[in-house]
Amino acid sequence: MIRVDNLHKHFGDVHAVNDVTFSAPDGQVTGLLGPNGAGKTTTLRMLYTLMRPDQGKIFVDGIDAVADPQGARFALGVLPDQSGLYPRLTAREHIEYFGELQGVTGADLRSRTDHLLTMLDMTAIADRRVAGFSHGERTKTALARAIVHNPKNVLLDEPTNGLDVMSTRAVREIIRRLRDEGHTVLFSSHVMQEVSALCDTIVVMARGQIVAAGSPDDLRRKTGHENLEDAFVALSGLEAEAETSPP
Amino acid sequence: MKSTPASQALVVIRKELRDWSRDRRSIITVIISSLLAPGLIFFLFNSQANRQRSAEDVTIPVVGAANAPALIDWLRQQAGVTIGDGPADAEEAVRSRREDVVLVIPDTFAKNFRASKPAQIRLVADGSSQNSRPKVRRVTNLLQRYNGEIASLRLISRGLSPAVASVLNIEDVEVSSSQQRAAQILGFIPLFVMISAFTGAMAIATDSTAGERERGSFEALLVNPAPRIAIAAGKWLAGTLTAMLTVLITAGLLFTMFKQLPLQDLGIRFRLGQPELIRTLVVVLPLAPLIVAIQMYVATFAKSFKEAQSYLSLLMVAQMVPGMMATMNTLSTKAWMYYVPWLGQQTLLTDVLGSKPINPMTLVIVGVINITLAAVVLRAVAGLLHRERIIFGR
Repeated sequence: MIRVDNLHKHFGDVHAVNDVTFSAPDGQVTGLLGPNGAGKTTTLRMLYTLMRPDQGKIFVDGIDAVADPQGARFALGVLPDQSGLYPRLTAREHIEYFGELQGVTGADLRSRTDHLLTMLDMTAIADRRVAGFSHGERTKTALARAIVHNPKNVLLDEPTNGLDVMSTRAVREIIRRLRDEGHTVLFSSHVMQEVSALCDTIVVMARGQIVAAGSPDDLRRKTGHENLEDAFVALSGLEAEAETSPP
Repeated sequence: MKSTPASQALVVIRKELRDWSRDRRSIITVIISSLLAPGLIFFLFNSQANRQRSAEDVTIPVVGAANAPALIDWLRQQAGVTIGDGPADAEEAVRSRREDVVLVIPDTFAKNFRASKPAQIRLVADGSSQNSRPKVRRVTNLLQRYNGEIASLRLISRGLSPAVASVLNIEDVEVSSSQQRAAQILGFIPLFVMISAFTGAMAIATDSTAGERERGSFEALLVNPAPRIAIAAGKWLAGTLTAMLTVLITAGLLFTMFKQLPLQDLGIRFRLGQPELIRTLVVVLPLAPLIVAIQMYVATFAKSFKEAQSYLSLLMVAQMVPGMMATMNTLSTKAWMYYVPWLGQQTLLTDVLGSKPINPMTLVIVGVINITLAAVVLRAVAGLLHRERIIFGR
């Protein structure tokens, strides 16, 4: 369960995140949808405690993440915007490294690692150094190491960005499974299909602000667009900028 | 499923060492940097020894050898001496450096010699030529010895003891320029050992800071519930271990090499044995943690591995300054110098190699100062890991 209240962040004169309030409940997938530069990554970075908000509150399972970032980190699993792998380590070593930092050890760590490798269809490349990995293999490695400790809350920044069909399916599969197990999943995306395929709740961001939130059906109703993509374009105000023809 | 900062630091150490051991570049750096010092010193010493030996194996060009057959025979009997034909113009030959030294025996020699008068001979040499100096000295010494022997014989033939004519008994104590140079080469040892600590630390210090920034892996790493100080300490300890390993290899090679060196040929009374080896390590190893911490601090500001390396090469030059000044003898030892990092190690090592006694208390204080400073810098590194510009700035 993640709750965000009145979040603000400035970079110089840019008001990157402006009064963002929403919550992501347990057992649901929440999608942070918005065009590039809408403030999604900045919002996530504040949620996973590496960036300090200028103003506002963040609660991760009731822990005040601004006051006690260390405590919040125990309840978080994060796939940042950059996968950031170590070229000379193998996929398995990446997963084990983060597992050990989280305090997972011994037989427990081995079985979880094997489980994740199987689930992400990575057993064949598990003991290869990641230097030669494809983009999809890198993302799956980063995803596996992010959730090896079975965190209650999972934050994913553009998890399927640039992935091929098979990798995308594997990632979606993991997200659904996490939801079914009762985890809170919050992920960001600028791709409509991605969000509509997975999310129970969609939070639409544009220019640092939340412009709409609700279930896919809610959003269709609110905007009067049957097509979710049209709804997204209308909500994020992209239409006015691009001067596209009316729906 | 709880982890302590200490266990997390251990996890980071293991990861960094594993990563390091797979990096061919870092392994090659360690090998080269630990071979460099012994190799260079070995080369310098050997060329020095060769020069010394070349003075002993001397060819003396003689003009007018026929005028003094007895002297020439005597010279030929001396170890390492060969007599050559003198050039037509002795002075011109020496001036143009074709010959280092030429012995000219005038035709008046035989007459004066038989009459027991001082028989003139000329030793043509160029005093401004550094290289010919040992040779000239050797020829002069030979002639003086001949002079002494003949003088003794003449005294004995007149019923006098040769001792009467020996007013002074001069013992040669050589402190010639070549020995000084040899001692200067030894003065480089502390510098080389410290450089090896520096280069040994570099791979991990840069890869685990600027390298993480370049790859964008800091973000994922720092999301883990490990205090920044635990992560920084893990990286720091891993770097310290590789630095110490490099120092051990370098020192070990240096001391093995010294057993092979022709020190006697250089007339150096100098010992580098196990006690000196151990003292050298006791002096240098406590510097390693500080070197690594400073390298990490500097490298954390760099956005890429390459940038970090150029910062660190500047740092390396800076750390060489005290050593250079000490080797050039521009520093005279003062008590406070022992307590300044680098300068202190340099001074202590000079004492160790000069077989001066070392106060154990000084060693303890120096060690404590270094480790305390390292801890302070390490805290600063951990502080940097809180900065958003460092975590995300690429």
